[in-house]
Amino acid sequence: MTVTFQLNGERCRFHEDPMTPLLDVLRREKFLTGAKAVCREGFCGACTVHVDGEPMMSCLKPVGLVSGCSVTTIEGLSSGDQALHPLQAAFEAADVVQCGMCFPGMVMSLSAFVRDNPEATRPQIKTAMAGNICRCTGYERIIDAVADYLAVQKAGSQAKEAAHV
Amino acid sequence: MDMQDGPERIFESAATVAEAVAARASGAAVLAGGTWTMRDPRRGVTLPERIVALSKIAELQSIEVFDDRISIGASVTHSLLAGAVSEIVGLEGLAAAATGAANPAIRRVATVGGNLCATEFAAADLVPALLALDAEVELALADGPRLLPLSEFLKARAALLKTALLTRVIVRRDVIASAHIRLPLRKAGDYPVAIVSVARSSDGTVRVAVGSVEPVARRWTALEAALGGKVATAEEAQALAEKTNDFIGRDGIETEGWYRREVLPALVRRAFAALRKGGAA
Ligand SMILES: Cc1cc2nc3c(=O)[nH]c(=O)nc-3n(C[C@@H](O)[C@@H](O)[C@H](O)COP(=O)(O)OP(=O)(O)OC[C@H]3O[C@@H](n4cnc5c(N)ncnc54)[C@H](O)[C@@H]3O)c2cc1C
Ligand code: FES
Ligand code: FES
Repeated sequence: MTVTFQLNGERCRFHEDPMTPLLDVLRREKFLTGAKAVCREGFCGACTVHVDGEPMMSCLKPVGLVSGCSVTTIEGLSSGDQALHPLQAAFEAADVVQCGMCFPGMVMSLSAFVRDNPEATRPQIKTAMAGNICRCTGYERIIDAVADYLAVQKAGSQAKEAAHV
Repeated sequence: MDMQDGPERIFESAATVAEAVAARASGAAVLAGGTWTMRDPRRGVTLPERIVALSKIAELQSIEVFDDRISIGASVTHSLLAGAVSEIVGLEGLAAAATGAANPAIRRVATVGGNLCATEFAAADLVPALLALDAEVELALADGPRLLPLSEFLKARAALLKTALLTRVIVRRDVIASAHIRLPLRKAGDYPVAIVSVARSSDGTVRVAVGSVEPVARRWTALEAALGGKVATAEEAQALAEKTNDFIGRDGIETEGWYRREVLPALVRRAFAALRKGGAA
């Protein structure tokens, strides 16, 4: 069977077992190693990618189910020659990353979360991170960085609105 | 139907319920979100050789809200369900079950049908929540559709699912308040070690269902009889739960059977406290 889908904006074909986890297709066939294989059970979130814009665990996604879908990995969120995704930039500026193992997944989850929840509160940020386990940071600095990012975005959009009046 | 041969596997993507039923008749296993099935290899179970995916069947993806009932398609995900029922009076327990299970990325993918049809999965959240609501399930079989109470479905589930496809769940809207209390050992993504779901109907009937304690969720009929339609306080309900606790807890990695059984009265207290406040968890 051949599965065809968009991968980081390019057409991608996979000819083998459609029950292969998307994660293995990304890492072993496409050499996109940003998504990490850690628990392979849907618990840790290190393998999170976007499927049609929504964060999902690629370890539990049979590639056959992404036929016709658009998949974005951390490599596609911002390629090396472009500016970082603003949330990535915020994480870098606040120096929140430690070993980095969880971060591709963390960024994929939280970039969609800040897009959809510009008004999120701290408890909502925490709930959104329930599927992204980090063994290093203790989470608080990540939550601070997301909260600061949202505040900056909000101030920015308010300033823009004021300029229009 | 889009049917292709893999090296070892046949993977079909059905476009209609009829196509999926036909595939089942020729031995295909159902694939919904895959969040249960994809972990088969970790449980020492080999993945099915023949698979029919439901993701392209549009009619299984909708939730219809009528005055007297709601109809939930089998492929509705936990997050869609949570969004659709969170404002509906009486369905607070179902909303809590759909929002409390797993983690956000899993809830976006894991379906209602998968939750109800994973026969080996004792800790399913939606099962007790829907038992307390006295829900019915609709199956598609080779000889036509069949509607049956969820409790009956659970008893015959393994046999029925050899050929059936679960198509929708129907919940009557005569419930005025419900609650779903789950006890995971850690908040982030753990399976609940025990679950108590309660619902009160407009005629005063109270239904109680328990999940994750025994291998399959069931109604707590002894407690329901002891309550006898009275409006019990949280403490009264807890005392009756202590007297009528006829559960045999299953041992598992998260905890031992005795603990699952022992925590039930405390969860009943919390559930009734929530019910008196109008539901939720
Ligand atoms: C990290 C993690 C945490 C979790 N936490 C929870 C939790 O807290 N609470 C909880 O309840 N669950 C939890 N789960 C379990 C979760 O996998 C199931 O709840 C989920 O609903 C299964 O749905 P699915 O669509 O992914 O099913 P699939 O894996 O696609 O299917 C599951 C089974 O059901 C069958 N099936 C599916 N749909 C149908 C249908 N329409 N008709 C007939 N048979 C069908 C399949 O053949 C298979 O046997 C968790 C899972 C993970 C990975
Ligand atoms: S590797 Fe996919 S969730 Fe852990
Ligand atoms: S930074 Fe090391 S696991 Fe998160």
